Amino acid sequence: MRPVIEAKNMDFSYRVLTNHQSSLKTLFKDFVNRKVRVENYQALRDISFEVTKGETVAIIGKNGAGKSTLLKLLAQVVPPTKGALKINGTVAPMIELGAGFNPELTGRENIIFYSALLGRDVKKVKQKVEAIADWAGVADHLDYQLRTFSSGMIARLAFATATVEVPDLLLIDEVLSVGDGEFAQKSKARMQQIIKSGTTVVLVSHDLVTVAELADRVIWLKKGEVAMAGKPSEVIAAYQKSEI
Amino acid sequence: MRAKKVSLYSLTGFSKNNLQLLRLLIQQELTLRYKRSVIGIGWTLLNPMLTSFVLWIVFSFFFAGKLQTGQQFAPYLMAGILLNTFFNQGLLQAANSIAANGGILTKVSVPPKIFAFAASLAAFINFLIGLIPLTLVVYISGQSLSFFLPIVLLVGFFLALFVAGVGLALSVIFIRFDDAKNIINVLLLILLYLTPVFYPISILNERMQQIVTLNPLTSFLDVFRWSFSNNATATPADFIYLSLTGIIFFTLGNFIFKRYWPRTVSML
Repeated sequence: MRPVIEAKNMDFSYRVLTNHQSSLKTLFKDFVNRKVRVENYQALRDISFEVTKGETVAIIGKNGAGKSTLLKLLAQVVPPTKGALKINGTVAPMIELGAGFNPELTGRENIIFYSALLGRDVKKVKQKVEAIADWAGVADHLDYQLRTFSSGMIARLAFATATVEVPDLLLIDEVLSVGDGEFAQKSKARMQQIIKSGTTVVLVSHDLVTVAELADRVIWLKKGEVAMAGKPSEVIAAYQKSEI
Repeated sequence: MRAKKVSLYSLTGFSKNNLQLLRLLIQQELTLRYKRSVIGIGWTLLNPMLTSFVLWIVFSFFFAGKLQTGQQFAPYLMAGILLNTFFNQGLLQAANSIAANGGILTKVSVPPKIFAFAASLAAFINFLIGLIPLTLVVYISGQSLSFFLPIVLLVGFFLALFVAGVGLALSVIFIRFDDAKNIINVLLLILLYLTPVFYPISILNERMQQIVTLNPLTSFLDVFRWSFSNNATATPADFIYLSLTGIIFFTLGNFIFKRYWPRTVSML
């Protein structure tokens, strides 16, 4: 069986202009005066790993270690600068939920639009709109514009829309639950249910307790490179030791 | 192993579900702009009429008598404005669309080109809606619609390709340099004056006529006026020129975009 993720020797770097002014005139002037340099910032270096179907892999590491960048590569938002990445199946990124929500559209229109952005079949989603809104607890607001929603309602709606279909690969950036009190419990339960249902999951988290609980395997990133990968208990122990 | 099939996806990079997204985006582009106005999308009908009316008052005094016999100034002017609006607004919106949706593009895997295509197609649809008041003006000024009316759709299609292509190339430049927007605005103004939107080409001297004829928009406009109400002369060469312009710029724009996008996306 083909693995869901095949990453081989991936590098990711982007060019940054020091003193970037975003203006042709100043840029030109600074170039002439050699005040600006183009620097290559390497966010990830030589990353290779495979994830097989049904596995839950957690990525840990300090801020700036490249965790979120790696997740962006896996979400296929940016291609790796070098190396190869192959993903087999549908991907649902849970990265900053609700990116693409439009305040001028109604709740219903937003559910449909957001689902279309995630690459889902609009016709199928239309049948589920009521169920999604119901689950998110915003059923009575469904046909109002999103700008009349509270921020909690928006977060709940985004979560409900994103998790209504179980993808082949789920990418999670710290979003394990949303809302407060009752809904936080409800969303956490749904998330754990999805993770345990056999979906392939890659999750980024600082919460080592959750990682130990959910992950089958842990990858520890350090300054853009894989410092260690393997059993959760061993990697987490080594990571914690290095922190001190 | 499944055999490789030639699918919509392999040809365009768009899946079937992406086409549904494209439809939603076009819908939004057409309706959201007028969401808070009283007559809503009615502005699409009213806007070209009002603009044409103002320009008609100003320019009919100078140019109406300079047209060839059989040509009418009011539909001549309004056709020019409709096509120019299609090009200008479509281009600016396509060029801005990708930066404007940067928040989405950095979080969800969507083919970014889809936003530029939606802007271009929305401008096309606006143009088609504008043909309704134009028909009115055609009949008021004593002309009638031409048998070659369906050719208008082809003109629109190739202009949409042209707009999408240039828009895609510009979108990358817009993300990299803010100043490009201001430069483009000036260039678009120059282009407006180099297109016979509100003047007949015969008033120009020979040299200027050559320059204006080289402008592909002139060919688009001549074929449009001719096929809509026989209000201009157009040659097969014009038609070939405009279709080649559409195809070449579309290909070129896609190529430039594909090449520079991976480096540009990290700037969003």
